[in-house]
Amino acid sequence: MAINLDFPTVWARWPSFLDGATLTLELALMATVFGGTLGTLCAVGRRSRNSTIASLSGAYVEAIRNTPFLVQIFLVYFGLASLGLKLSAFTVAAMALTINVGAYTTEIMRAGFDAIPRGQIEAAEGLALSRFQVYWHIVLLPAMEKVYPSLTSQFVLMMLASSVCSQISAEELTAVANFIQSDTYRAFETYITIAVIYVVLSLVLRAGFWGLGLVLFPRLRRLGTPL
Amino acid sequence: MKHGKIILAALAAGMAFATVNVAKADLLDDIMKAKKIRIATDLAIPPSGMMDSAMKPTGSDVETAQLLAKDWGLQLEFIQTTGATRIPNVQTGKADIIISTLSVTPDRAKVIDFSKPYAALASDVGCLKSLNIKSWDDLKDKKIGVSRGTTQDTMLSKMTDKHLNLSRYEDDATMVTAAVSGQADCIGTSATIIAQIGKTNPARVFEPKVPITTFDLAVGMKKGEPRLMEKVNAWVEANIKNGKLNAIYKKFHGADLPPNMRGS
Repeated sequence: MAINLDFPTVWARWPSFLDGATLTLELALMATVFGGTLGTLCAVGRRSRNSTIASLSGAYVEAIRNTPFLVQIFLVYFGLASLGLKLSAFTVAAMALTINVGAYTTEIMRAGFDAIPRGQIEAAEGLALSRFQVYWHIVLLPAMEKVYPSLTSQFVLMMLASSVCSQISAEELTAVANFIQSDTYRAFETYITIAVIYVVLSLVLRAGFWGLGLVLFPRLRRLGTPL
Repeated sequence: MKHGKIILAALAAGMAFATVNVAKADLLDDIMKAKKIRIATDLAIPPSGMMDSAMKPTGSDVETAQLLAKDWGLQLEFIQTTGATRIPNVQTGKADIIISTLSVTPDRAKVIDFSKPYAALASDVGCLKSLNIKSWDDLKDKKIGVSRGTTQDTMLSKMTDKHLNLSRYEDDATMVTAAVSGQADCIGTSATIIAQIGKTNPARVFEPKVPITTFDLAVGMKKGEPRLMEKVNAWVEANIKNGKLNAIYKKFHGADLPPNMRGS
Protein backbone atom coordinates (compact mmCIF):
# COMPACT_ATOMS: atom_id res chain seq x y z
CA MET A 1 0.00 0.00 0.00
CA ALA A 2 2.69 2.52 -0.90
CA ILE A 3 1.42 5.99 -1.67
CA ASN A 4 2.87 7.78 -4.64
CA LEU A 5 2.98 11.47 -3.92
CA ASP A 6 3.25 13.79 -6.88
CA PHE A 7 3.39 17.34 -5.61
CA PRO A 8 4.77 19.11 -8.72
CA THR A 9 1.57 18.35 -10.71
CA VAL A 10 -0.44 20.05 -8.01
CA TRP A 11 1.98 22.90 -7.40
CA ALA A 12 1.95 23.77 -11.10
CA ARG A 13 -1.46 25.24 -10.33
CA TRP A 14 -0.01 27.75 -7.86
CA PRO A 15 -1.73 30.80 -9.42
CA SER A 16 -5.09 29.17 -8.64
CA PHE A 17 -4.01 28.44 -5.07
CA LEU A 18 -2.88 32.04 -4.71
CA ASP A 19 -6.23 33.35 -6.00
CA GLY A 20 -8.06 31.09 -3.58
CA ALA A 21 -5.92 32.10 -0.61
CA THR A 22 -6.41 35.79 -1.47
CA LEU A 23 -10.17 35.37 -1.58
CA THR A 24 -10.16 33.47 1.72
CA LEU A 25 -8.17 36.25 3.33
CA GLU A 26 -10.48 38.92 1.87
CA LEU A 27 -13.52 37.07 3.21
CA ALA A 28 -11.88 36.76 6.63
CA LEU A 29 -10.97 40.45 6.78
CA MET A 30 -14.43 41.62 5.74
CA ALA A 31 -16.12 39.32 8.22
CA THR A 32 -13.73 40.43 10.98
CA VAL A 33 -14.43 44.13 10.43
CA PHE A 34 -18.19 43.90 9.91
CA GLY A 35 -18.80 40.95 12.22
CA GLY A 36 -16.71 42.57 14.96
CA THR A 37 -18.71 45.78 14.71
CA LEU A 38 -22.05 43.97 14.54
CA GLY A 39 -21.12 41.79 17.51
CA THR A 40 -20.01 44.73 19.64
CA LEU A 41 -23.25 46.60 18.91
CA CYS A 42 -25.33 43.53 19.75
CA ALA A 43 -23.37 43.01 22.98
CA VAL A 44 -24.29 46.55 23.97
CA GLY A 45 -27.86 45.75 22.89
CA ARG A 46 -28.04 42.58 24.98
CA ARG A 47 -27.11 44.57 28.10
CA SER A 48 -29.51 47.37 27.22
CA ARG A 49 -32.23 48.36 29.70
CA ASN A 50 -34.63 48.48 26.74
CA SER A 51 -36.08 44.94 26.88
CA THR A 52 -37.05 44.85 23.17
CA ILE A 53 -33.48 45.55 22.03
CA ALA A 54 -32.12 43.11 24.61
CA SER A 55 -34.39 40.27 23.54
CA LEU A 56 -33.85 40.97 19.82
CA SER A 57 -30.07 40.73 20.30
CA GLY A 58 -30.58 37.62 22.40
CA ALA A 59 -32.73 35.98 19.73
CA TYR A 60 -30.12 36.72 17.06
CA VAL A 61 -27.34 35.17 19.14
CA GLU A 62 -29.35 32.06 19.97
CA ALA A 63 -30.56 31.59 16.38
CA ILE A 64 -27.06 31.79 14.92
CA ARG A 65 -25.16 29.91 17.60
CA ASN A 66 -27.61 26.99 17.48
CA THR A 67 -27.68 26.40 13.71
CA PRO A 68 -24.92 25.06 11.45
CA PHE A 69 -23.02 27.58 9.35
CA LEU A 70 -23.71 25.58 6.19
CA VAL A 71 -27.45 25.94 6.73
CA GLN A 72 -27.07 29.67 7.35
CA ILE A 73 -25.10 30.22 4.16
CA PHE A 74 -27.66 28.25 2.10
CA LEU A 75 -30.46 30.28 3.68
CA VAL A 76 -28.83 33.56 2.68
CA TYR A 77 -27.73 32.41 -0.79
CA PHE A 78 -30.91 30.65 -1.93
CA GLY A 79 -33.31 32.59 0.27
CA LEU A 80 -32.33 36.01 -1.08
CA ALA A 81 -32.39 34.69 -4.66
CA SER A 82 -35.92 33.32 -4.17
CA LEU A 83 -36.94 36.80 -3.03
CA GLY A 84 -35.51 38.16 -6.27
CA LEU A 85 -32.27 39.57 -4.86
CA LYS A 86 -29.38 38.07 -6.81
CA LEU A 87 -26.07 38.73 -5.11
CA SER A 88 -22.73 37.29 -6.12
CA ALA A 89 -21.47 34.26 -4.26
CA PHE A 90 -18.66 36.36 -2.76
CA THR A 91 -21.07 38.97 -1.36
CA VAL A 92 -23.29 36.27 0.11
CA ALA A 93 -20.29 34.47 1.61
CA ALA A 94 -19.07 37.69 3.24
CA MET A 95 -22.57 38.43 4.54
CA ALA A 96 -23.10 34.96 5.95
CA LEU A 97 -19.69 34.97 7.64
CA THR A 98 -20.43 38.42 9.11
CA ILE A 99 -23.78 37.30 10.49
CA ASN A 100 -22.22 34.14 11.89
CA VAL A 101 -19.15 35.62 13.54
CA GLY A 102 -21.22 38.58 14.77
CA ALA A 103 -23.24 36.27 17.04
CA TYR A 104 -20.13 34.73 18.59
CA THR A 105 -18.54 38.15 18.98
CA THR A 106 -21.65 39.33 20.82
CA GLU A 107 -21.22 36.69 23.50
CA ILE A 108 -17.47 37.26 23.84
CA MET A 109 -17.86 41.03 24.07
CA ARG A 110 -20.72 40.63 26.57
CA ALA A 111 -18.36 38.69 28.81
CA GLY A 112 -15.87 41.55 28.47
CA PHE A 113 -18.46 44.16 29.41
CA ASP A 114 -19.59 42.07 32.38
CA ALA A 115 -16.02 41.94 33.61
CA ILE A 116 -15.73 45.74 33.99
CA PRO A 117 -16.14 46.47 37.73
CA ARG A 118 -18.93 48.91 38.55
CA GLY A 119 -16.48 50.91 40.66
CA GLN A 120 -14.29 51.65 37.64
CA ILE A 121 -17.19 53.39 35.90
CA GLU A 122 -18.16 55.25 39.08
CA ALA A 123 -14.57 56.46 39.47
CA ALA A 124 -14.60 57.76 35.89
CA GLU A 125 -17.90 59.55 36.50
CA GLY A 126 -16.40 60.97 39.69
CA LEU A 127 -13.59 62.44 37.55
CA ALA A 128 -16.24 64.20 35.46
CA LEU A 129 -15.48 62.31 32.23
CA SER A 130 -18.17 62.71 29.61
CA ARG A 131 -20.52 59.81 28.84
CA PHE A 132 -18.69 59.11 25.58
CA GLN A 133 -15.29 59.21 27.29
CA VAL A 134 -16.50 56.79 29.96
CA TYR A 135 -17.91 54.41 27.37
CA TRP A 136 -14.89 54.50 25.09
CA HIS A 137 -11.94 54.58 27.51
CA ILE A 138 -13.36 52.97 30.65
CA VAL A 139 -15.78 50.37 29.27
CA LEU A 140 -15.29 49.46 25.62
CA LEU A 141 -11.50 49.34 25.20
CA PRO A 142 -10.73 47.62 28.55
CA ALA A 143 -13.57 45.16 27.90
CA MET A 144 -12.15 44.37 24.49
CA GLU A 145 -8.65 44.05 25.89
CA LYS A 146 -9.84 41.53 28.48
CA VAL A 147 -11.42 39.26 25.86
CA TYR A 148 -8.98 40.01 23.04
CA PRO A 149 -7.44 36.49 22.97
CA SER A 150 -10.87 34.80 22.72
CA LEU A 151 -11.94 37.33 20.13
CA THR A 152 -8.95 36.79 17.89
CA SER A 153 -9.17 33.00 18.07
CA GLN A 154 -12.85 33.27 17.12
CA PHE A 155 -11.85 35.27 14.05
CA VAL A 156 -9.20 32.71 13.10
CA LEU A 157 -11.78 29.93 13.52
CA MET A 158 -14.10 31.90 11.27
CA MET A 159 -11.38 32.17 8.60
CA LEU A 160 -11.07 28.36 8.69
CA ALA A 161 -14.88 27.97 8.58
CA SER A 162 -14.95 30.07 5.41
CA SER A 163 -13.97 26.85 3.61
CA VAL A 164 -17.70 26.05 3.72
CA CYS A 165 -18.28 28.93 1.27
CA SER A 166 -17.00 26.63 -1.51
CA GLN A 167 -20.49 25.10 -1.42
CA ILE A 168 -22.14 28.14 -2.94
CA SER A 169 -19.50 28.59 -5.66
CA ALA A 170 -17.37 31.22 -3.91
CA GLU A 171 -13.94 30.39 -5.34
CA GLU A 172 -12.01 30.47 -2.08
CA LEU A 173 -9.11 28.20 -1.16
CA THR A 174 -11.10 25.02 -0.52
CA ALA A 175 -13.16 25.49 -3.69
CA VAL A 176 -9.95 25.87 -5.69
CA ALA A 177 -8.56 22.73 -4.06
CA ASN A 178 -11.73 20.75 -4.78
CA PHE A 179 -11.47 21.73 -8.42
CA ILE A 180 -7.75 20.98 -8.73
CA GLN A 181 -8.27 17.68 -6.97
CA SER A 182 -11.03 16.66 -9.36
CA ASP A 183 -8.95 17.73 -12.35
CA THR A 184 -5.62 16.14 -11.39
CA TYR A 185 -6.96 13.29 -9.21
CA ARG A 186 -4.18 14.16 -6.78
CA ALA A 187 -6.45 14.51 -3.76
CA PHE A 188 -3.93 13.83 -1.01
CA GLU A 189 -1.30 16.22 -2.39
CA THR A 190 -3.88 18.95 -3.00
CA TYR A 191 -5.33 18.85 0.49
CA ILE A 192 -1.89 18.66 2.13
CA THR A 193 -0.99 21.78 0.15
CA ILE A 194 -4.02 23.77 1.24
CA ALA A 195 -3.68 22.56 4.81
CA VAL A 196 -0.24 24.17 4.85
CA ILE A 197 -1.63 27.32 3.22
CA TYR A 198 -4.36 27.50 5.88
CA VAL A 199 -1.72 27.24 8.62
CA VAL A 200 0.19 30.10 7.00
CA LEU A 201 -2.99 32.17 6.71
CA SER A 202 -3.74 31.54 10.39
CA LEU A 203 -0.27 32.69 11.36
CA VAL A 204 -0.63 35.79 9.19
CA LEU A 205 -3.97 36.61 10.84
CA ARG A 206 -2.55 36.02 14.32
CA ALA A 207 0.39 38.30 13.62
CA GLY A 208 -2.02 40.92 12.29
CA PHE A 209 -4.21 40.74 15.40
CA TRP A 210 -1.14 40.94 17.63
CA GLY A 211 -0.11 44.16 15.88
CA LEU A 212 -3.65 45.53 16.01
CA GLY A 213 -3.72 44.80 19.74
CA LEU A 214 -0.63 46.95 20.26
CA VAL A 215 -2.29 49.81 18.36
CA LEU A 216 -5.64 49.52 20.13
CA PHE A 217 -4.49 49.05 23.69
CA PRO A 218 -1.92 51.61 24.95
CA ARG A 219 -1.71 49.81 28.30
CA LEU A 220 -0.65 46.59 26.61
CA ARG A 221 1.83 48.46 24.41
CA ARG A 222 3.54 50.12 27.37
CA LEU A 223 3.46 47.29 29.90
CA GLY A 224 3.35 44.28 27.62
CA THR A 225 1.54 42.22 30.26
CA PRO A 226 -1.80 40.53 29.78
CA LEU A 227 -4.72 42.10 31.59
CA MET B 1 10.29 -6.12 29.80
CA LYS B 2 9.76 -9.71 28.77
CA HIS B 3 6.06 -9.07 28.10
CA GLY B 4 7.01 -6.07 26.07
CA LYS B 5 9.24 -8.19 23.89
CA ILE B 6 6.56 -10.81 23.34
CA ILE B 7 4.04 -8.17 22.37
CA LEU B 8 6.55 -6.59 20.03
CA ALA B 9 7.26 -9.92 18.38
CA ALA B 10 3.56 -10.63 18.03
CA LEU B 11 3.06 -7.22 16.48
CA ALA B 12 5.90 -7.73 14.05
CA ALA B 13 4.51 -11.14 13.07
CA GLY B 14 1.07 -9.63 12.61
CA MET B 15 2.44 -6.88 10.43
CA ALA B 16 4.35 -9.33 8.27
CA PHE B 17 1.16 -11.32 7.86
CA ALA B 18 -0.84 -8.24 6.99
CA THR B 19 1.69 -7.18 4.39
CA VAL B 20 1.56 -10.59 2.73
CA ASN B 21 -2.22 -10.38 2.66
CA VAL B 22 -2.20 -6.98 1.03
CA ALA B 23 0.30 -8.07 -1.58
CA LYS B 24 -1.78 -11.09 -2.58
CA ALA B 25 -5.16 -9.37 -2.48
CA ASP B 26 -7.38 -9.74 -5.49
CA LEU B 27 -10.41 -7.50 -5.28
CA LEU B 28 -12.79 -10.04 -6.81
CA ASP B 29 -11.74 -12.71 -4.31
CA ASP B 30 -12.16 -10.24 -1.45
CA ILE B 31 -15.65 -9.31 -2.62
CA MET B 32 -16.72 -12.92 -3.04
CA LYS B 33 -15.25 -13.92 0.31
CA ALA B 34 -17.01 -11.05 2.09
CA LYS B 35 -20.23 -11.94 0.20
CA LYS B 36 -20.68 -8.20 -0.02
CA ILE B 37 -19.92 -5.60 -2.67
CA ARG B 38 -19.39 -1.95 -1.78
CA ILE B 39 -20.61 0.31 -4.57
CA ALA B 40 -19.97 4.06 -4.61
CA THR B 41 -23.10 5.87 -5.75
CA ASP B 42 -24.10 9.50 -5.48
CA LEU B 43 -27.56 9.45 -3.92
CA ALA B 44 -28.18 13.15 -4.51
CA ILE B 45 -28.49 13.21 -8.30
CA PRO B 46 -32.02 12.32 -9.32
CA PRO B 47 -32.96 10.32 -11.25
CA SER B 48 -29.69 8.32 -11.21
CA GLY B 49 -29.36 8.17 -7.46
CA MET B 50 -31.82 9.53 -4.91
CA MET B 51 -33.90 8.69 -1.86
CA ASP B 52 -37.57 7.72 -2.20
CA SER B 53 -40.31 8.89 0.16
CA ALA B 54 -39.41 6.06 2.56
CA MET B 55 -35.75 7.31 2.55
CA LYS B 56 -34.61 4.21 0.66
CA PRO B 57 -32.09 4.64 -2.17
CA THR B 58 -33.60 4.47 -5.64
CA GLY B 59 -32.73 5.60 -9.16
CA SER B 60 -31.20 4.13 -12.30
CA ASP B 61 -27.70 3.74 -10.85
CA VAL B 62 -29.17 2.32 -7.66
CA GLU B 63 -31.20 -0.27 -9.56
CA THR B 64 -28.21 -1.09 -11.77
CA ALA B 65 -26.13 -1.69 -8.63
CA GLN B 66 -28.92 -3.75 -7.08
CA LEU B 67 -29.23 -5.85 -10.24
CA LEU B 68 -25.49 -6.53 -10.26
CA ALA B 69 -25.44 -7.51 -6.59
CA LYS B 70 -28.47 -9.77 -7.09
CA ASP B 71 -27.01 -11.46 -10.18
CA TRP B 72 -23.76 -12.12 -8.34
CA GLY B 73 -25.56 -13.28 -5.19
CA LEU B 74 -23.94 -10.61 -3.02
CA GLN B 75 -25.09 -8.33 -0.30
CA LEU B 76 -24.94 -4.69 -1.43
CA GLU B 77 -23.55 -1.78 0.53
CA PHE B 78 -23.90 1.71 -0.92
CA ILE B 79 -20.98 4.02 -0.26
CA GLN B 80 -22.46 7.50 -0.53
CA THR B 81 -20.32 9.81 -2.59
CA THR B 82 -20.35 13.13 -4.42
CA GLY B 83 -19.22 13.86 -7.96
CA ALA B 84 -15.76 14.88 -6.86
CA THR B 85 -15.14 12.01 -4.42
CA ARG B 86 -16.22 9.11 -6.64
CA ILE B 87 -12.73 8.29 -7.88
CA PRO B 88 -10.87 8.74 -4.55
CA ASN B 89 -13.39 6.30 -3.06
CA VAL B 90 -12.13 3.38 -5.14
CA GLN B 91 -8.52 4.56 -5.17
CA THR B 92 -8.40 4.41 -1.39
CA GLY B 93 -10.37 1.16 -1.14
CA LYS B 94 -13.41 2.67 0.56
CA ALA B 95 -15.55 1.21 -2.22
CA ASP B 96 -15.05 -1.71 -4.61
CA ILE B 97 -16.60 -0.20 -7.74
CA ILE B 98 -18.29 3.02 -8.87
CA ILE B 99 -21.74 3.03 -10.44
CA SER B 100 -22.54 6.73 -10.35
CA THR B 101 -23.08 8.38 -13.75
CA LEU B 102 -19.32 8.06 -14.23
CA SER B 103 -18.50 9.04 -17.79
CA VAL B 104 -15.46 7.65 -19.58
CA THR B 105 -12.72 10.22 -20.20
CA PRO B 106 -9.04 9.79 -21.10
CA ASP B 107 -7.96 11.71 -17.99
CA ARG B 108 -9.93 9.45 -15.71
CA ALA B 109 -8.70 6.35 -17.56
CA LYS B 110 -5.19 7.26 -16.34
CA VAL B 111 -6.16 6.70 -12.72
CA ILE B 112 -8.95 4.11 -12.78
CA ASP B 113 -10.16 1.35 -15.11
CA PHE B 114 -13.50 1.49 -16.90
CA SER B 115 -15.82 -1.38 -17.82
CA LYS B 116 -17.83 -1.46 -21.04
CA PRO B 117 -20.49 1.28 -21.02
CA TYR B 118 -23.75 0.32 -19.31
CA ALA B 119 -25.55 3.55 -20.24
CA ALA B 120 -25.00 6.87 -22.01
CA LEU B 121 -25.65 10.43 -21.04
CA ALA B 122 -26.08 13.55 -23.14
CA SER B 123 -24.61 16.73 -21.64
CA ASP B 124 -25.83 20.17 -22.53
CA VAL B 125 -25.81 23.71 -21.36
CA GLY B 126 -29.45 24.10 -20.38
CA CYS B 127 -31.06 27.48 -19.75
CA LEU B 128 -34.40 28.91 -18.86
CA LYS B 129 -36.79 28.18 -21.72
CA SER B 130 -37.59 31.87 -22.11
CA LEU B 131 -33.95 32.81 -22.81
CA ASN B 132 -32.98 33.22 -26.45
CA ILE B 133 -29.75 31.22 -26.52
CA LYS B 134 -28.67 29.20 -29.52
CA SER B 135 -24.88 29.07 -29.61
CA TRP B 136 -21.74 29.45 -27.53
CA ASP B 137 -21.65 33.13 -28.53
CA ASP B 138 -24.98 33.70 -26.79
CA LEU B 139 -23.52 32.15 -23.64
CA LYS B 140 -20.57 34.52 -23.53
CA ASP B 141 -20.14 36.07 -20.04
CA LYS B 142 -23.38 34.46 -18.88
CA LYS B 143 -23.26 32.73 -15.53
CA ILE B 144 -23.33 28.95 -16.00
CA GLY B 145 -23.75 26.76 -12.94
CA VAL B 146 -21.87 23.45 -12.90
CA SER B 147 -21.28 20.73 -10.37
CA ARG B 148 -17.62 20.92 -9.38
CA GLY B 149 -15.37 18.13 -10.63
CA THR B 150 -17.87 16.70 -13.12
CA THR B 151 -16.85 16.20 -16.75
CA GLN B 152 -19.07 19.12 -17.72
CA ASP B 153 -17.07 21.33 -15.35
CA THR B 154 -13.75 20.11 -16.74
CA MET B 155 -14.81 20.45 -20.37
CA LEU B 156 -16.37 23.89 -19.98
CA SER B 157 -13.37 25.07 -17.92
CA LYS B 158 -11.08 24.22 -20.82
CA MET B 159 -13.11 26.30 -23.30
CA THR B 160 -11.28 29.46 -22.30
CA ASP B 161 -11.75 30.97 -25.78
CA LYS B 162 -15.53 31.00 -25.28
CA HIS B 163 -15.34 33.34 -22.26
CA LEU B 164 -17.72 31.34 -20.12
CA ASN B 165 -18.47 32.47 -16.60
CA LEU B 166 -18.67 29.27 -14.53
CA SER B 167 -20.08 29.05 -11.01
CA ARG B 168 -18.98 25.79 -9.43
CA TYR B 169 -21.31 24.26 -6.88
CA GLU B 170 -20.32 21.42 -4.62
CA ASP B 171 -22.76 18.85 -5.99
CA ASP B 172 -25.69 18.48 -8.36
CA ALA B 173 -28.24 19.11 -5.62
CA THR B 174 -26.75 22.52 -4.84
CA MET B 175 -26.47 23.36 -8.53
CA VAL B 176 -30.14 22.46 -9.09
CA THR B 177 -31.16 24.58 -6.10
CA ALA B 178 -29.22 27.46 -7.65
CA ALA B 179 -31.16 26.98 -10.89
CA VAL B 180 -34.50 26.72 -9.11
CA SER B 181 -33.95 29.69 -6.80
CA GLY B 182 -32.76 31.95 -9.59
CA GLN B 183 -29.06 32.12 -8.73
CA ALA B 184 -28.25 30.58 -12.12
CA ASP B 185 -30.24 30.82 -15.35
CA CYS B 186 -27.95 28.40 -17.20
CA ILE B 187 -26.41 25.13 -16.06
CA GLY B 188 -23.99 22.73 -17.67
CA THR B 189 -25.12 19.21 -16.83
CA SER B 190 -26.85 16.09 -18.11
CA ALA B 191 -29.95 16.33 -20.29
CA THR B 192 -31.80 14.33 -17.67
CA ILE B 193 -31.23 16.86 -14.91
CA ILE B 194 -32.11 19.75 -17.22
CA ALA B 195 -35.45 18.10 -18.02
CA GLN B 196 -36.05 17.24 -14.36
CA ILE B 197 -35.99 20.83 -13.12
CA GLY B 198 -39.13 21.95 -14.97
CA LYS B 199 -41.06 18.88 -13.86
CA THR B 200 -40.81 19.78 -10.21
CA ASN B 201 -40.74 23.57 -10.69
CA PRO B 202 -43.14 24.66 -13.42
CA ALA B 203 -42.22 28.27 -12.69
CA ARG B 204 -38.67 27.77 -13.97
CA VAL B 205 -38.57 25.36 -16.91
CA PHE B 206 -35.10 24.63 -18.30
CA GLU B 207 -34.36 23.16 -21.70
CA PRO B 208 -31.14 22.01 -23.39
CA LYS B 209 -29.73 24.90 -25.44
CA VAL B 210 -26.16 24.12 -26.48
CA PRO B 211 -24.92 20.51 -26.59
CA ILE B 212 -21.60 19.83 -24.85
CA THR B 213 -21.11 16.14 -25.64
CA THR B 214 -22.47 12.64 -25.13
CA PHE B 215 -20.71 10.51 -22.56
CA ASP B 216 -20.57 6.78 -22.17
CA LEU B 217 -21.28 5.82 -18.57
CA ALA B 218 -19.26 2.92 -17.25
CA VAL B 219 -18.48 1.07 -14.06
CA GLY B 220 -15.25 2.39 -12.54
CA MET B 221 -12.77 0.44 -10.46
CA LYS B 222 -9.24 0.58 -9.15
CA LYS B 223 -6.50 -0.06 -11.71
CA GLY B 224 -5.09 -3.57 -12.05
CA GLU B 225 -8.10 -5.77 -11.25
CA PRO B 226 -8.43 -7.77 -14.49
CA ARG B 227 -10.57 -10.58 -13.03
CA LEU B 228 -13.12 -8.19 -11.57
CA MET B 229 -13.12 -6.22 -14.83
CA GLU B 230 -13.80 -9.35 -16.87
CA LYS B 231 -16.72 -10.31 -14.65
CA VAL B 232 -18.23 -6.81 -14.74
CA ASN B 233 -17.88 -6.65 -18.54
CA ALA B 234 -19.59 -10.00 -18.97
CA TRP B 235 -22.40 -8.80 -16.72
CA VAL B 236 -22.81 -5.52 -18.62
CA GLU B 237 -22.85 -7.30 -21.98
CA ALA B 238 -25.47 -9.80 -20.83
CA ASN B 239 -27.75 -7.14 -19.41
CA ILE B 240 -27.47 -4.86 -22.43
CA LYS B 241 -28.44 -7.85 -24.55
CA ASN B 242 -31.45 -8.88 -22.48
CA GLY B 243 -32.64 -5.27 -22.36
CA LYS B 244 -32.64 -5.00 -18.56
CA LEU B 245 -30.25 -2.02 -18.49
CA ASN B 246 -32.32 -0.17 -21.07
CA ALA B 247 -35.48 -0.87 -19.05
CA ILE B 248 -33.89 0.56 -15.91
CA TYR B 249 -32.69 3.63 -17.82
CA LYS B 250 -36.07 4.23 -19.40
CA LYS B 251 -37.90 3.84 -16.11
CA PHE B 252 -36.00 6.73 -14.54
CA HIS B 253 -34.81 8.93 -17.43
CA GLY B 254 -37.92 8.71 -19.60
CA ALA B 255 -35.87 7.94 -22.72
CA ASP B 256 -34.21 4.92 -24.31
CA LEU B 257 -30.48 4.36 -24.41
CA PRO B 258 -28.74 4.93 -27.79
CA PRO B 259 -29.89 2.30 -30.38
CA ASN B 260 -26.80 0.09 -30.03
CA MET B 261 -27.48 -0.33 -26.29
CA ARG B 262 -31.16 -1.24 -26.37
CA GLY B 263 -30.74 -5.01 -26.47
CA SER B 264 -32.28 -7.46 -28.84
